[in-house]
Amino acid sequence: MGRLYLLLSPRILGFRNSLSAATGKARKRAMIMVLAGFGFWAILFGLCFRVLRYFQSVEVIGDLLAHHLLGMILMVFFSLLIFSHIITALSNLYLSSDLELCHASPVPLEEVFLSRTLHTVMDSSWMVIVFGLPLMMAYAAVFKPGLGFYVSLLHMGLGVVLIAGGIGILVTMILVRLFPAQRTRDVTMLLGVFGLGALYLLFRLLRPERLVDPDAFFSIAQYMAALKGPDSPYLPTHWMTETLWAYLSGSSRKGLWFQSALLWSTAAAIAVINVWVAQAIYFSGFSRSQEAKRRRAGKGLLDFFVGGIKRPFRSEVAAIIDKDLRAFFRDNTQWSQLLLLGALIVVYLYNFSVLPLDKSPMRIDFLQNEIAFLNVGLAGFVVSAVSVRFIFPAVSSEGQAFWILRSSPVSLKRFLWTKFALYLAPMILLGEVLILLTNHLLEVTPFMMALSSCTMALAVFGIVALGVGMGAMYPNFNHQNIAQVATGFGGLLFMILSAAFVAVIVVLEAGPVYVLVMADLRGVPVAKWQWAFIGLSFCAVLFIIAAAVYQPMKLGLKALSQYE
Amino acid sequence: MIKLIHLTKIYKGLRAVDDLNLEVKEGTLFGFLGPNGAGKTTTIKMMAGVLKPTSGRIIIHGMDLAEEPEKVKKCVGFIPDRPYLYEKLTGLEFLNFIAGLYGMDHAPSVRSQIQDLLDRFDLTHWRDELIESYSHGMKQRLVMCSALLPRPKVLIVDEPMVGLDPRGARLVKDIFLEESRKNTTLFMSTHSLEVAAEVCREIAIIQAGKVIAQGSSEELKRIAGVDGSLENVFLKLTEGKRIAHGTPLSAS
Repeated sequence: MGRLYLLLSPRILGFRNSLSAATGKARKRAMIMVLAGFGFWAILFGLCFRVLRYFQSVEVIGDLLAHHLLGMILMVFFSLLIFSHIITALSNLYLSSDLELCHASPVPLEEVFLSRTLHTVMDSSWMVIVFGLPLMMAYAAVFKPGLGFYVSLLHMGLGVVLIAGGIGILVTMILVRLFPAQRTRDVTMLLGVFGLGALYLLFRLLRPERLVDPDAFFSIAQYMAALKGPDSPYLPTHWMTETLWAYLSGSSRKGLWFQSALLWSTAAAIAVINVWVAQAIYFSGFSRSQEAKRRRAGKGLLDFFVGGIKRPFRSEVAAIIDKDLRAFFRDNTQWSQLLLLGALIVVYLYNFSVLPLDKSPMRIDFLQNEIAFLNVGLAGFVVSAVSVRFIFPAVSSEGQAFWILRSSPVSLKRFLWTKFALYLAPMILLGEVLILLTNHLLEVTPFMMALSSCTMALAVFGIVALGVGMGAMYPNFNHQNIAQVATGFGGLLFMILSAAFVAVIVVLEAGPVYVLVMADLRGVPVAKWQWAFIGLSFCAVLFIIAAAVYQPMKLGLKALSQYE
Repeated sequence: MIKLIHLTKIYKGLRAVDDLNLEVKEGTLFGFLGPNGAGKTTTIKMMAGVLKPTSGRIIIHGMDLAEEPEKVKKCVGFIPDRPYLYEKLTGLEFLNFIAGLYGMDHAPSVRSQIQDLLDRFDLTHWRDELIESYSHGMKQRLVMCSALLPRPKVLIVDEPMVGLDPRGARLVKDIFLEESRKNTTLFMSTHSLEVAAEVCREIAIIQAGKVIAQGSSEELKRIAGVDGSLENVFLKLTEGKRIAHGTPLSAS
């Protein structure tokens, strides 16, 4: 046990030292992140609270819905936990740089395995606290259960985390037995992204909003069938759901101890099985993951694609574009995210195609144009969200090889503007696809089509510059995984500023758009003072976009040139 | 060829390089020696344009690095101590990338030049493999290929022998001597006194961010007042002094 603590101590001491060594700036950043986290919790709690309150107001099926929702939430968390443990276990058990030291030390293999298992469980399960706690607290606030609910939530939550962790780690050990660890990570990420994209599409296309509208079903039997979730009495989430629901609904608690006993005996059994399996295959898998494998690069189509894109640019710009594109398409964790993006676009467009405009008391033509205009804001937020994942980390993606560019005769200014140029065209394409196709679905006027399309194109200039510039202001060249870069303080700040930028544009254009649409619908001419107001508003929009392009790039360049 | 004038670098109150003055003539193979934490890597990073000096000037090939960074970097090749590269490129693609950065990708001779370098550094069989599958030594050799590709007038090298096998180390020493004969100026930091003694025409010893002695091996022996190996000279010159973070060196 003492040695187990010793193996865990570098992480604990490292965390303690980073807290005590944090400067004023780092503390302020941490404080902002904590506040943002609380804000997120409050929003999640509020949303869940409202939904559950609404369910309570629906007679007969309200409680049924809340019960099923609880089961679905726990099921989703359980699945995510297993996936998250597979990914984290690959790093913690096979790829971490400090593993060599651990395996070289005179510590039994089981203790090394258990210490890394604990690391993995800690790293993977924090998201359950972040996302799950406000949802569970919303249940508690609505149903007001007794102390038993909280005790059950705590111990059964821990049990479910341990079972999911055990399954995830077991799967990882078997996968690494079959493939090298590095390849396993790629395969798992790819399968995960495919699975997530498919689930997202499936969930949306099932139109879950119909569940709160029983009138949409022909019979109560059909409705009940639609409510049935993927549940089974053999699943740990089922045992937890039934226990928590017994406390929430105030129904009989007879036999709850059996559910707890099932859960904890399963957790214990998986732990024992994992140690046995680890004794048999963990070390050989770790040993194999140290062996370098020759990896030939994918060529042909990539050469053709990259060659076409870089052709118009001068040597050094073309060289950077060439390198970035090849690195992007050879990194399975990067290009696979495009599949999620595709699913996002499909669902976005689908949402517009099923908008119940005919049920609104407003004039349809007015509503269509107003929604099309507000869609600029919505599409802007989507572009911002995609940018925080792909553009904000663009500078950090150089990683520890950044010295190559710093010592080369390419100026940092040219480097940053190359990144800007590289991402501008695809982001404009994304923005325009969202705008033009939704406008087409909404059958808007040519004026609204032109206005929203131009606004989107110009706003993308600002969002991309903001992403590149802020990415340069908050670079992280020592990341293990590029996806982590967006989750830091800079990523959060970019998201806030980018959303504010889009909102300001929409607000500034709202007045002129209202004047022009109403004049068109009523068939009256626009007054001179109204033209002046319209001109002034559009000039302000252009000024803000220009500032959003120039200022972040300038500040990013300054920060990057002072980076040490 | 290289002039460092009152070069200073302060990190959070710590003077890593302290008012350093140095001059290296064209075609010289210059060794830059010093104990851990003496300021060697910091000096080298500033010369390569990777780190900004707190004060002072760096003149390379008659140009001020602060005033004309792109022009200076065009005639400098840099080999860092740790070969961090773009892991998702192949060796050949990486060298093409370097050719692009130096604006030489359209030169007709660049393909044959790249192939020559790959042959010389024994990397031809690995040219189409992703760099992520290279060993440390192979990455180090690839970095050397990339530094030599633009035919630099000045080569700045930080600990070149780390991770190289004896054959690789011999190859690198031969290449440095060959480059020096071609009048390329080499500025090399190293812990290996044997390498410094074997290849460097002139040596400077740095401690606590300052040059404490400079000259040929013979001149350094005279300054230190000892006979024998460069190791004895080094130990004598650095004994009892304090390194950058204030810990006294033990005199052995």
